[in-house]
Amino acid sequence: MPDQDALGGPPPEPTSATADTARGPGRVLVAVYGVFALAAGARAAVQLAVQFDEAPLAYLLSALAAVVYVAATIGLARGGRGGRRTALVACAVELAGVLVVGTLSLADPAAFPDDTVWSGYGQGYGFIPLALPVLGLLWLRHQSEVADRRG
Amino acid sequence: MSTPLVVAATVVAVALAVLGGLSTALRRRIGTAHLAGVGLLELLLVAQAVVTVVAMAGGHRPAELATFLAYLVSVVLLPVAGLLWARTEPTRWAGTVVGVAGLAVAVMLWRLLDLWEVTGA
Repeated sequence: MPDQDALGGPPPEPTSATADTARGPGRVLVAVYGVFALAAGARAAVQLAVQFDEAPLAYLLSALAAVVYVAATIGLARGGRGGRRTALVACAVELAGVLVVGTLSLADPAAFPDDTVWSGYGQGYGFIPLALPVLGLLWLRHQSEVADRRG
Repeated sequence: MSTPLVVAATVVAVALAVLGGLSTALRRRIGTAHLAGVGLLELLLVAQAVVTVVAMAGGHRPAELATFLAYLVSVVLLPVAGLLWARTEPTRWAGTVVGVAGLAVAVMLWRLLDLWEVTGA
């Protein structure tokens, strides 16, 4: 991989229209999902293990978010028909989750004493939790079209 | 934790993110500059982890100990994971992957410092 040029050489010509969700921009998407799977997973594990009684609803939601991020990461990284389906379900649940939890957390802050990744539409995480499922769904639609065209 | 080390690592991490974005914008793959950036960042992060562990052995206890330790381990592994994930990508997007890892490290470092400064009774 190290190139003579410090910034790396130009990319090779695309060899074929490969329908792979973990190629090109998809690789960036998997990286971001991976970071969120890690962050949400660590947070949920600690909350459930150490302070579950304080806010069971918020902590169960954290755990659900973590599972969804892990599923989306794996689905996108694996690709193929099965991987795309896994990722599609995960992204859809994620979008629904961030919208429902975001709305509820603003409408009834008392129910969410401790923040989850999805509180305030992902405000605490630079609104990335809101943008991520939308980008994921767009990318998956694009990849499905590429796969369909190949037959 | 050492604040100067956090600042130094943040500077390197953000520079790495800029470099990664640049190679994507210029439609290039990653090269030795990215490799050197990740190496330097990793060096600073390991030094930070050692300083932190020594301070903890000396009796400093962050209040949210479990979260703190999870983040401390994750932040050291992140640049390596990012580089491994980027190096198998033959297109210009490899640079952005390295950049994402850099930004994530920068954010996590300051979160770690927050956790570090809140100590239990």
